[in-house]
Formats: sequence, structure tokens, C-alpha cells
Amino acid sequence: MDERKDHLWKVAQEAEERIEDLMKAGSNPVGLDVGTSKVVAAKRKGKEIDTGAQLNAFIPVPWSRFTETILGQNEISYYRENDELIIYGTATEKFANMFNANVRRPMADGLINPKERFAMPVLEAILQTLVPKARAQGEILAFSVPAATEGHEAQLTYHEATLRRYFEGLGYKPVAINEGLAVIFSELEDNNFTGIGISCGGGMCNVTLAYLSIPSMMFSIPKGGDFIDASVASVTGEQETRVKVIKEDGLDLSKPPKDKYEKALRIYYEDLIESLVQKLQQSISQADKLPRSDRPLPIVIAGGTAKPRGFKEMFEKALSSRSLPVAVSGVRMASDPLTATARGALIAALYEK
Amino acid sequence: MGAETKRSEGSGGVRQTDHGAGVRRRPVAIPSDPAEFLHALESVSSGIRDPVAKLRFIRTSLSRYKAVHRVVRKVPVAPVRRVLYHWLSLEGLRHLLETKAVGPSGLNVATRVSFAFGRAAVMGLGLIFGISVGVAAYRHMRPLAAPLMAAPRRVAAPAAVAPLPDPASSVAEQGTAAPLTTAGVAPAAIWLVEKGPQWELYSNGLRIDTALTVKGTPRSFRVFDREGNLEPRVYNAPVGLLFHTSESDVWPLEAAYNENLRGTSQGLLRYVQKNRLYHYVIDRFGRVFRIVAEDSKANHAGNSVWANAGRVYLNLNHAFLAVSFETRWEGGKALPITQAQLAAGRNVSDYLRQRYEIAPEMCVTHGLTSVNPKKHLIGHHMDWARGFPFAVFGLPDQYQHEAPSVALFGFDYDDDFLKVLDQPWPGVRAAEAELSREAARQRRAVEDVRFDRQTAYDRWIEKQQAGYEPGPNAAAGEGSGTGEAAVGRAAASTSRPEGLQ
Repeated sequence: MDERKDHLWKVAQEAEERIEDLMKAGSNPVGLDVGTSKVVAAKRKGKEIDTGAQLNAFIPVPWSRFTETILGQNEISYYRENDELIIYGTATEKFANMFNANVRRPMADGLINPKERFAMPVLEAILQTLVPKARAQGEILAFSVPAATEGHEAQLTYHEATLRRYFEGLGYKPVAINEGLAVIFSELEDNNFTGIGISCGGGMCNVTLAYLSIPSMMFSIPKGGDFIDASVASVTGEQETRVKVIKEDGLDLSKPPKDKYEKALRIYYEDLIESLVQKLQQSISQADKLPRSDRPLPIVIAGGTAKPRGFKEMFEKALSSRSLPVAVSGVRMASDPLTATARGALIAALYEK
Repeated sequence: MGAETKRSEGSGGVRQTDHGAGVRRRPVAIPSDPAEFLHALESVSSGIRDPVAKLRFIRTSLSRYKAVHRVVRKVPVAPVRRVLYHWLSLEGLRHLLETKAVGPSGLNVATRVSFAFGRAAVMGLGLIFGISVGVAAYRHMRPLAAPLMAAPRRVAAPAAVAPLPDPASSVAEQGTAAPLTTAGVAPAAIWLVEKGPQWELYSNGLRIDTALTVKGTPRSFRVFDREGNLEPRVYNAPVGLLFHTSESDVWPLEAAYNENLRGTSQGLLRYVQKNRLYHYVIDRFGRVFRIVAEDSKANHAGNSVWANAGRVYLNLNHAFLAVSFETRWEGGKALPITQAQLAAGRNVSDYLRQRYEIAPEMCVTHGLTSVNPKKHLIGHHMDWARGFPFAVFGLPDQYQHEAPSVALFGFDYDDDFLKVLDQPWPGVRAAEAELSREAARQRRAVEDVRFDRQTAYDRWIEKQQAGYEPGPNAAAGEGSGTGEAAVGRAAASTSRPEGLQ
């Protein structure tokens, strides 16, 4: 894993390219956050960064001419697979609620789902909606990958290689970037890319500690939004999709829970954060080498799972109960938690250009 | 959790943690050098606003770390090391600017200022280095860089400073004390033997270097009679010689100082030429340089008075030729010129006296003629106010000559004058005696007589300026006034009261 990333994350040799070349016609680097729950793409549009997102999910429905016509009229992303229509992307959630069924995901725990036969075709279809073919051969596309979890190293290799091949097929020169580092790139520029970046996604939470953009430690835990949804669903008897809607519909962790769903959500959020902080303490304590800095490090949190109000305070509370080997200057949320990883990947792509 | 921690080592910026000690917040002690480098890197990086440019700068700088550190770590002084690291970081930024990887607008004001200052410092150092190389090359390219040794070092060289003849001794006595000018066969006359593009050789051995000769204001002056009448005749030929010292830097006359000796002479010659100060300069090796053409005025005498044979000369820039010895007078208690200068000076004097039929009594030193017209004091400049070897030059001892500035114009001297000379030269005493006699004849106080004559001087000067010849301070643009004033630093030590205390 590390070896394959070396071309990107080892110290650059010489970077003499002209940044203005990036703005030339046909040159359009892309940053991509390939997350378990969502796929977010970021591109430069003039001096601004333009982002787009798709739900990384699908739901198969039986084929009928009528259904296909309706889907086409409503501009819903789908494709036909034998006697099934595969509805994918953002519209999936509506159909799942409509049919009171759970959505299916091409990815699980941050990686391509090996148990899902439609995983790669659906993922490719979703990616196609965000990433068109490269306008010029060799355009840089930086895509996020998680840090490997124990026992899943081979799966991560497959995941990364598969995506890389797919993007190469579109004419891109793909480079992989760790999710946590991408958060650092997008959010810790003022700190010279020094600090701890955390991405709390659907499948897992990724953490990276970097000093001057060089990652010194990275890890992930296999808990994310899906873990919370599944856990709450199992104890409340509700569909995961429905739990997800409740979770994303203005959940406030700083206030006392109003019902059993919120109560369960709070419990599993606390569990996730506790696991995250515990692992953070453990990883830093066991790390052979850490950044040399007399200054305390900032922590920035991104990702859809971290969006509910009160998440940061909950994290701070958990952090304060433990003593880290490095001083922490503060915890803050990313300016836009959903797009932070994609924006960081775009910075990596622009750098690689 | 079943999660695995992935670790990668960043270059620079890593340190060991103490596993056994468990959790701790204090950073482990780190070597100073990387810390200094990283601090400089962070300092410069903070001034970059564009994230991609910043990332590029950081990564590029880190890739250069080993090469930079290898050199800078040898600097023993920590502050200098820190400055070097900072400057090298800025240089890294310059590289990115040149390749347009970072635009100027991508930097904040402080970084832009720091960058500009760094560039200015580099240019300044480059300029200094270039000048140093240029000077070294110039010195290397000059001919005869190696001094010729006339004798082995173990043989003591003759003393460069000869004992001073007693000013009170007679001309004859001084002449016998200087056999170098009397021994051998002297030519019947002095004539031009040979002339090259930049030199002239005369029959008395005088060789004049003419490479630096420049023209000045054509000579033109009128003369007073002793009654104060400005004669109508306008003279174009010099009527006198005025001897000066340059008051420039003086190095020991030793081979080890050869380059200093030559360098100082070159600088003096350029200065004299630029300000048209003297007609002739005799350097310490006895080389004679004609700087101001003989038919031109030189700015050498300033406010000055001389009289001879019933004629009175005020402000001698026009009437007198200037011969300056490269040396410092230093109060005239010892002869401040070299043997070579002495011989060359005699040859120049002989040549000029013969060519322009200058009377021996009209060959005098600057210190004997210089006055302060506002305060009516003698000795405003004092070079050769004592100790000029008139006898060696075959000239009458002008120190015995009644000082015209005192006798005719009642000029006085003050304590500053006496601090330098202890007592005025005999000619001043003789003039004062004449004033006393005149006061006695008029049955007036000496001071009243002085006052009358000082007032007369002022009228004569006005008449001179109104009549024909501009005063010493009137010739704008030519270092007017005094050659001494133009020499500035050179004359400072011979002028009172500023110079000698």
C-alpha cells in the first residue's frame, strides 16, 4: 500500500510545472472522494472549486416497459440488467423509501463490496455521472482511498487497482490519496498542512496525522454512518434507510434525545467517537515517529457522519477524557464536511499536475 | 476494533516517541539544525496564499533539505544559520515564482517584502563581490605589480625621512647638507630630450608623465604694486612656484606595502585630476605627473598673499604653478618626503624656473602664503609652513622672507597657529617688527596699524575682484577657491583651526 502511494506521497523531487498550465483548455484535474455512502467530485471552475455529489447506492427493481418509461421521463439514473432495472445515485433513496426497502451499496467499509455482484458496474455508472472522459490523455485525477484496516489489506489493493484501471480507461492519470490527508490538504492550509485530519464517512472513519503535508501516521476504524444506521435499525426494528433519513434530518447530538431513534443514534454516535478517540490515542502512543513540532496540532473533522450538530462537542468531550502524546490546539469542523475530502483530492491533483 | 495503524515516515519533521513512558506532551529534544530549517520553511510557507502553490513549495523545499542542510549546518553561528535557512527558503520561493508555479499575488505582503529584501541583499552582496573581484583583477593587471628590490632585505634601506634642516640655518648650510643635488655634472641648461605620447624627458633627468594631463581655465592675472594699484597688464605666464603636500594617505615605504603605495597614488592622481588641484604631483617613488596643464589655472592656493620686488600677488591660483608632494606634512618637524621625491622636486623646480624665468624669491610654500581673509589670520593652510628644504632646491630660505601678509596687511596669528608651529617662522617676526616700527613712527598702537592694513587688504581684494581677476572662491564649478578646500580631507590636517588642535 505504502509503496504504491510513494509516487504521490514521498517528498516531491522537483515540481517545475507551471500552474497556469492547469487552466489551459483540455487540462482539468479532478479530485474525487470515493466514499462508501457518497461519491463527491471537485474541479476547478475559474478561481472557484465546483463540486458535485452522487449517492453511492443503488436499488434494483423488476423491469417493465412502464417503469423504464417513468424513470426516463423523470431523468432518474438507471440501467437495465437482464430483467432488472438498476436505479442508482441520488434517486435511489427516494425509491428505497417508496418501496420501504434498504438501498444496496457498491461499497462497504470504504472498499468495493466483494459480496455485491453489481458493485463495480453500479460504481462505474455512478462515477460516470461525475467524471466524464478525460479531455486530454493523462489528465490528473486524484481519488481518495482509506487507510487499510486489519485483515483487509488485499481488499484495499483490489479496490485501489480497480478504480485506478477504470480511471485510466477514461484517459486519466489516476493518483490515490489517503482520505485523512485529503482533509488536511483542504482544511489545514493555514497550518502549513500540519495537523490531524479525520474523515468520518459512511463505511469508516479515516485519520491521518501529517506534518508539513507529509503523513506520519494514518489509520482507519471500520465504523461509520452505516454502522450507526445498522446498529440503530437492529435495536429499533426500523429500516436502515429510514434510520438514515432520521439521522440526516436535523439530528442534534447536543440536545437530549426526543425519541428512541435519537436515543439509539446518540448511543451509537458516542460509541463511534469513543472508538475513534481511543484508536487515535493508541495509534499516536504506539507510533514510532511523530511530527517534530513544538506547537499543538489542530484537529479537523470532515465527512457526512460528522455533520449532525453536537458531533464536535461530543468528540471534544471524548478527547478531553484522554491524554494524547501530542498537544492539540483545538478541534474544528471542516468548512464543508461533505466536500472536504474531494477538495483535498483536487489540491493533490493540481499539485501532481 | 481490529483496525491497523499505518505509519509512514515523512522526511524531516519526525521524532521518536517514548513508548515505555506512555503518554506525554512534551516534545522530545530535537537536533537544532532541522528545527531551524523547518522553522524557516514554515515561516516562508505561511506567506503563500494559494494552497497548491504552498504544497508545491513545501514539498520542493523538503526535497532540497539534505542539500541545503549539508551546507548550512557548517555555519557555526546559530543566528546566521537561521538567516541562511530563511534566505534559502525564499530562494526556493523565487524558483517557484520564476517557473510561474506561484504568482506574486499568491504571496502575502510580508512575504513579498521579505522576498524583495532578500533579493536586494543578494544583489548587494553580489555587487560587493563583483567590486572585490574587479579590484583584485585591477590590481593583478596593473604593470609592475611586483616591487623591485634594490638590495637584499638584510641590508638596511636608507632612512626615508631625513633629519630636518634647522629653519634658522642659512641657505648655504642647508645646501651643503644635501649633496645629492650638487654632486655630479649638471647640464648647462634644461631642455626637452625626448617626448612620447604620455611622457616627456628633460636633460636634467626629469621625466614627466603626461597621461593624466587636463586643461583648466586659462591662466590670466594682474598684479598690485605696493601702493595698492592694480597694474593694467594682464599676465598669462606663471610668475611663481608654490609647493604643497597632498595630505593623502601615507604608507611605509616598504615592499610589503607596495600595493597600498601604488593604490593610494592612483587614487590621489584621479582626485587631483578631477578637481584640477595641482599642476604637478610627485608620488612617493619620485614619479612626476603633470595633471593640470601649465597654461591653465589650478585650484591650489586659495586665499593667499605673496610679494616680491615691489609687486604684490593676491590669491595665487593663477600666478603660481603648483607642485605637490604626495605626503603628509605632519607639522614639518621631520622631512616628510622620500629621497626620490626630493630629487624629483628639485628637477621639477629647476625645469619650471628655467622655462618661465621664475625668480627664486617667487618659489615659496603654500603654508607661507595661505591666509584666512575673514579673520585676517595667517596660516589658514599650513603645509610646508615649516621644514621645506629650500636649500636643496637651490632656493633662498623663504622662512626668513618678511611675511607680506603680516607686513603689508597686518595679518595676525592665533593660538591654534601656535599649537602647530610653537612659534611663527622668522619672516613673521620680521614683519611684526616692521609693523611695530611703523606704529612707532605713526605714534599709534600696533593694533591700530594692523587694523588699517587689514582694511586695506579688504579693499585690495574688492578691487581685484571688481577689476579683473576673480577671487579664489568665484570660479564656480572648478573647485574654486582653494585647492586645499577642494582637496578637502587632504588639506584638513594642515588647515586651522579645524585640522590641527
